[in-house]
Amino acid sequence: MLDLNGIRDMFAFWRPRKPPVPFAVQFKKFEIILERNNAILELMADMGDKLGGEYVFDGQYIVSACERLGDLVFKLISDLSVLTQRKNVDLFLAFESIQHQIEEELAGRHSFPNASLTMPLEELNRDVSEEAGNKLAHLGDVRNFLGLATPDGFVITSKAFFDFMAHNGVTRRVEEGLARLVPPGSSGSQVDEAGLDALSQDIRSRILEGEVPRPVAQQIAAMLDVLAARRGDKATLYAVRSSAWGEDAEFSFAGQYESVLAVPPAKVLEAYKRVLAGAYSPEVWRYRLHRGYKESETAMAVGCQAMIEAEASGALYTYAPLAQEDEAVVVSATWGLGAPVVDGTAETDTYFIDRCGAHAVRSIEVAHKPVRLAAKAGGGTGLVPVEPEFQDVSCLTPERILRLVQTAMTIERYYKRPQDVEWAFDAQDTLFILQARPLNMQPREVLSCPNGIRGAADAARNAEVIFSGKGTVVQHGVAIGKVFVVRTDEDLAHFPHGAIMVTHHTSPRYSRVMRKAQGIITDVGSATGHMSTLAREYRVPAVVNTGVATSLLKNGDEITLDTTQNTVFRGAVHELCRFELTGEESFEESAEFRLLRRLLKRITPLNLVDPHSEQFKASACRTFHDITRWIHEKAVEELIDVSERHWRRSGATPKRLDSVQPLGLMVIDLDEGPIRAGANQKDMPAVAQEELTSVPLAALLTGLTESGMWSTDPMSVDLGSFMSSFTRTFSSASAAPGKIGRNLAVVSHEYMNLHLRLGYHFNIIDAYISERVNDSYIYFRFLGGVTDFMHRSRRARCIAQILERLDFRVEVHGDLVVGRIKKLPPERMREKMLVLGGLIGYTRQLDVCLRCDEDIDRHAEEFLQRITPLLEVRND
Amino acid sequence: MTDHGKSADPVEKTLGRARILILDDEPIVCKRLKPAFQKAGYEVETFTDSAHALARVEETRFDIVITDLKMEGVDGMRFLSRVKELSPETGVVVITGFATLDTAKESFRKGAFDFVAKPFKLADILDTVRRIEDKQRLDAELRVGKG
Repeated sequence: MLDLNGIRDMFAFWRPRKPPVPFAVQFKKFEIILERNNAILELMADMGDKLGGEYVFDGQYIVSACERLGDLVFKLISDLSVLTQRKNVDLFLAFESIQHQIEEELAGRHSFPNASLTMPLEELNRDVSEEAGNKLAHLGDVRNFLGLATPDGFVITSKAFFDFMAHNGVTRRVEEGLARLVPPGSSGSQVDEAGLDALSQDIRSRILEGEVPRPVAQQIAAMLDVLAARRGDKATLYAVRSSAWGEDAEFSFAGQYESVLAVPPAKVLEAYKRVLAGAYSPEVWRYRLHRGYKESETAMAVGCQAMIEAEASGALYTYAPLAQEDEAVVVSATWGLGAPVVDGTAETDTYFIDRCGAHAVRSIEVAHKPVRLAAKAGGGTGLVPVEPEFQDVSCLTPERILRLVQTAMTIERYYKRPQDVEWAFDAQDTLFILQARPLNMQPREVLSCPNGIRGAADAARNAEVIFSGKGTVVQHGVAIGKVFVVRTDEDLAHFPHGAIMVTHHTSPRYSRVMRKAQGIITDVGSATGHMSTLAREYRVPAVVNTGVATSLLKNGDEITLDTTQNTVFRGAVHELCRFELTGEESFEESAEFRLLRRLLKRITPLNLVDPHSEQFKASACRTFHDITRWIHEKAVEELIDVSERHWRRSGATPKRLDSVQPLGLMVIDLDEGPIRAGANQKDMPAVAQEELTSVPLAALLTGLTESGMWSTDPMSVDLGSFMSSFTRTFSSASAAPGKIGRNLAVVSHEYMNLHLRLGYHFNIIDAYISERVNDSYIYFRFLGGVTDFMHRSRRARCIAQILERLDFRVEVHGDLVVGRIKKLPPERMREKMLVLGGLIGYTRQLDVCLRCDEDIDRHAEEFLQRITPLLEVRND
Repeated sequence: MTDHGKSADPVEKTLGRARILILDDEPIVCKRLKPAFQKAGYEVETFTDSAHALARVEETRFDIVITDLKMEGVDGMRFLSRVKELSPETGVVVITGFATLDTAKESFRKGAFDFVAKPFKLADILDTVRRIEDKQRLDAELRVGKG
């Protein structure tokens, strides 16, 4: 929509606008913006790196890093204001809002940014445990992050709980009652027992008789409708379960809260109140008081999930209690619903399985199971007889046992804690995870036994070290497993569950096996690559750039990778694994790591990806990354505008590039001084390709020329499209300089910022190639095309595929491709620029010949084949 | 020295495990360093309160001390001085989030073995501690050689 400002902007082109500040100043500002832009990206990456566990940092670091970042972003906005001579009010407002959220987090006040009363399971993860309670937040991770099946459902948030309690006047009753029972200054363990029982009775009946506030009831009804529609309006029954703050975390509250099974939709509100009331039973309340839990820390979110028609269900401990079995998983199972297993009221089959390796079954004890628990059609549960032929049969097949154990180990690996998992198989053979919580291993007992700390240190000392201290640790942790060497993409398809991936280089393509891999070791690669980010996200212990991994490790070798000591041991050193699983707290769950993760959510996600979208505006910036990206875009636009219109007065030296291909490129060399005062040319001076001193630009143009891909007529292109595209490029090249497409390169010896629009294909490449490897980077962006959207997005995927093969870190959003690579030595960086040059030529008209998805692979392959000789020649 | 300190020391010595005291007022630093050093075979005690740590070094000797600088009460500089006074051969590593040239110089003047800016890598601090041990072994050999 065009408002008055929009119209004014449209015509701004016609107004002769003089550069309001001298050009030299503007260039300086532009350079500062680019520098600051990179400093911000570096600092963000640096903060992200800290999540891997290799660094020891403290709260002070988080505060000062946020301060530095805020300061940089603020200055960046100010720089842009000077460059564009605009006030950028929207941008400052966006900044203030983000800055405020960060300050709130740092002050320990987590704002409920999402003040919803209900949230669907697909939106839950550990970072919303305040809203969703621990149990459902974890289940959200299991479903949304680890990709495991969980019963469909939603959570009635802790916000709804507070609303309910206030609405019914219970909050005040609780406070007053407790003030009477627990005099200030006394500890919770000296509470008047009879008084607490009476208070509990009073509070529970007030909750059960209370009214669910209308907005809460409406939200619940709406969520139930959505679920019913998604399930094809089948008469669904629900499990209504507690998901309190702190439940399953530092205090387990195991089994103490109420769950109501097989609830028909009409009775969900009633069940909801029952679960809320369960938070005030005398037992739970006493437990809270004894453990010094503050009353203000009590909040009961409630999960509401579709019941699974379970064929068999039960519980699993990924670490059987030590005295019983060493290094074993223990599973209890029964027919039907699993509640009797958890309550301990039913006879169950018991299985002991190896934790490691192929998960061999050690023992099976089959119980006599004459009855099973089942949901009744109208709601509620009841015991029904089991068919005689199944009463004495194991309720898990070997295949299901394996699947179950692998799944549970995936959860354990992620949380780095032994897990207590409730599970169910339905008649369609789907394995559902109903709940997963850390298994309390009694660390003190374990650590005081001979197998504890000393065991770990001694075992490490006695084990054979294959190699140690090589490369860069990306993610801390311990992995025991068999080596699987990945050399080709086909290898990825056969990657075995629980193996340790050993590869020559890092690649974003390995995201496919992140959920299966126990650990990762590479020969080359950087800690800041895409794969490293993934390893941190999935918490897979990883070390890159070891130089020796593929030569020292062979397929099938059993090894222990301990990245906390950066050592690879031969064989399984279980003590190291146990040491990690029984430690006080995994570092990922410590307050500082959680705070840093929450802060980074306000800092690093990029929402502004498409400069052509309506949403690409200052007011839409939600993170510091958004602001940075937007400013970069605007700064470049401004520079192009000014250079095109005012080059003669500019004081810089824009030159027209005489290139082999008709690029219509204007080059501004920041290393050169301004045009001498005497120079009074009418036309822009020219520079020949050979004269260019900019390393990145020279490499790019060489690639474009020598790959011979510019003039290539792609095989299956239809002549019409090709000609039109050719004509367009040609005509723009032959047009007067003033009308040339907006093609501009701002360069220095080591730097290049290139904006290249060829037809409708728009490339931005920002590169810095220097001996200072840590500062070197290439940022590549591609957008646009003339054909229909399908063709265009195929081309985007083709480019993405090629870039990934070249180890770029790639994002694809529809027709937009962003590739990044950094920290490589200059010769490798030049090589990448050569390839990008070829790629620009090759993909110029590629969209028209990508007729089906198979063409993507074919063209990516063809390009790589044709570009390779060029690289090999250069390498010699 | 208390009785406790005397009786504990020979046991530790026979096991050949170096003893480390870690002092940082931010619990996260202790929480991260403790298991890393334990796993590497050290005996580790951690403190977040410098008064308690001071009381501990008064009663027993540590081979290695890792201390923060900026803390409430007794600050790291004073702690460092006291440790070196009590036991000159103890290797002290100063870790700080406010690294300046002046504080570094002062730390070294007071006898610190190394000065490390936070955040640092676990591998690096483990390495620093190993270097202290090497130096301590060498010093001990020299002493024996002289005697």
